[in-house]
Amino acid sequence: MLEDGEEKESMACFERVSPALREILLKLYRAEKAVDFDHHLYEFGSVEYHIESSAADPQHKYLSIATPLLSQGLLLASGLSTYTKQMVQDACSDVVEIVEPQKEGYQLTLRLNFAKIPRGKDFDQVIRKLSSVQAVILSSQLKEMLQNVNSQDIPEGMYKPIKLVYHPREPFYVIRQPEKIIAVFPIRFREQTDVIIATAFFQELMDVGSSAKWAKAPACTWSPIPPPELRGEPLEDLSTNGGFVSFAIAYNSPPPPILMLRLANLLWKSDISFHHVEGIKLDRTVWSLLNFYAYIKNHVKCTRGFIQRRMQKRLDILVEVLKKANSKENEHVKEIEANAGRRAIRKLVSLSKLKTLKHKCGDFTRRIKQIRFRVKIHGFKRFRRRWLTLPKFSSAMGYTRLE
Amino acid sequence: MSSQASSLRLYLTCIRNTLDAAMCLQNFPCQEVERHNKPEVELKTSPELLLNPVLICRNEAERCLIETSINSLRISLKVKQADELENILTKKFLRFLSMRAEAFQVLRRKPVQGYDISFLITNYHSEDMQKQKLIDFIIQFMEDIDKEISDLKMSVNTRGRLVATEFLKQFI
Repeated sequence: MLEDGEEKESMACFERVSPALREILLKLYRAEKAVDFDHHLYEFGSVEYHIESSAADPQHKYLSIATPLLSQGLLLASGLSTYTKQMVQDACSDVVEIVEPQKEGYQLTLRLNFAKIPRGKDFDQVIRKLSSVQAVILSSQLKEMLQNVNSQDIPEGMYKPIKLVYHPREPFYVIRQPEKIIAVFPIRFREQTDVIIATAFFQELMDVGSSAKWAKAPACTWSPIPPPELRGEPLEDLSTNGGFVSFAIAYNSPPPPILMLRLANLLWKSDISFHHVEGIKLDRTVWSLLNFYAYIKNHVKCTRGFIQRRMQKRLDILVEVLKKANSKENEHVKEIEANAGRRAIRKLVSLSKLKTLKHKCGDFTRRIKQIRFRVKIHGFKRFRRRWLTLPKFSSAMGYTRLE
Repeated sequence: MSSQASSLRLYLTCIRNTLDAAMCLQNFPCQEVERHNKPEVELKTSPELLLNPVLICRNEAERCLIETSINSLRISLKVKQADELENILTKKFLRFLSMRAEAFQVLRRKPVQGYDISFLITNYHSEDMQKQKLIDFIIQFMEDIDKEISDLKMSVNTRGRLVATEFLKQFI
């Protein structure tokens, strides 16, 4: 069966916080003495962080980020868009200050004022927010795209798909329609085994998504051929071995009734608006879509590991069966040998018994004989030896001693 | 008892009886090469040392070929593969076992063409091990393979369902 612990542990890789960056920032924050610090950090092969700290300016640290952009259309001469920068600024407004212009080779440079990080338990929350800056950049790009899609296409009935390339080999498409947003993921794998495991997963995803319990979740469809929304896209982008997974997300839909009740409760306790909650939901949706490829790959990898473990276990059982057969055989042989030994001892024992019995019998017959000859004649023995015994003849070839 | 279970029982009984009859092996030196002792079922150099092969089929997808010679016996199995997932699981599992053939002694590293897995039993094996135990092992192996493939398929689908549920939870 599924090992829950393993699955939960594997989910950690989809966290927004970069563990390595968090560790470095915590180290800098806890340092008692300001030191010169210059560290380059690479993540997932394409994200680069540069952390700088100077002993001359102990209050400020500099964090620069280079991350692949979701779409080439977003590439601006000045780096990231204003919306993205605003989102980063909003994430931790007190501590972060965006440096203009950014450091060469990076898309964003932040000046971190550690003096403004609150002392006590809250500092970890702030460090976590700072460490998840790359996730904020990524999510805000997609959010911006969804908000700024050119609505001129709509009257013509054509909704142009936006190609998003987070990883060069894994592009996906987002199509905005009046009522919904469709995200289409072309699935490619190098190995046929992965394709089949992933296909089984997509079928389960479709089954689960179509049940009444998950009516509020985005409708998921899997098809081996490209959906009609991708008509006109380059052929190399549409050639896949794992088919296409589409998610249709209802846009600007009102919150469900249960959520409304919870929100009313929240509103009473604190100042949270519906819009804010929608924003959180959107954020979660965007993050899930961005990590969909990673999610599938992780599932395929874990399933392969699971199959391998099961096979190993079964191998051990089968080998054990054969070994038992062998050991039983050996036991049988040993038993036979042991029995043979016992029989030999028994023979020895029985032989000695026979001898004693014979010996006893000899005594008995002698006595019987003695009893039969009751009349005893004195000197008869000598007489019998002299006159009644037959003479011993020596052979002609024999040698007779002359007296 | 369902018809499927009964057909499997008949199939396995038939294989068991055939193996029981076929497994009367004796030492026999190679007639071609002096001071060599080779499994004749593999070399097939002397037709007089070979018996007629027996093919036992449960259906189109499942069959068992038993080839016998004077000093060796070859059993080749074709396991059912209903869909792509079963196909890939069967291939992976049987390849996994074949790669570890030394653990089984009687397992052939490469299956006979057209089959998924093959066993080679020589007179030495039949001398070392009890004949009935060997036959029991082959039958249990066949039963276990079928069971393991269906269990694996079910587990993979169950995992997929759980992971799909976890993924959809993020949207709600």
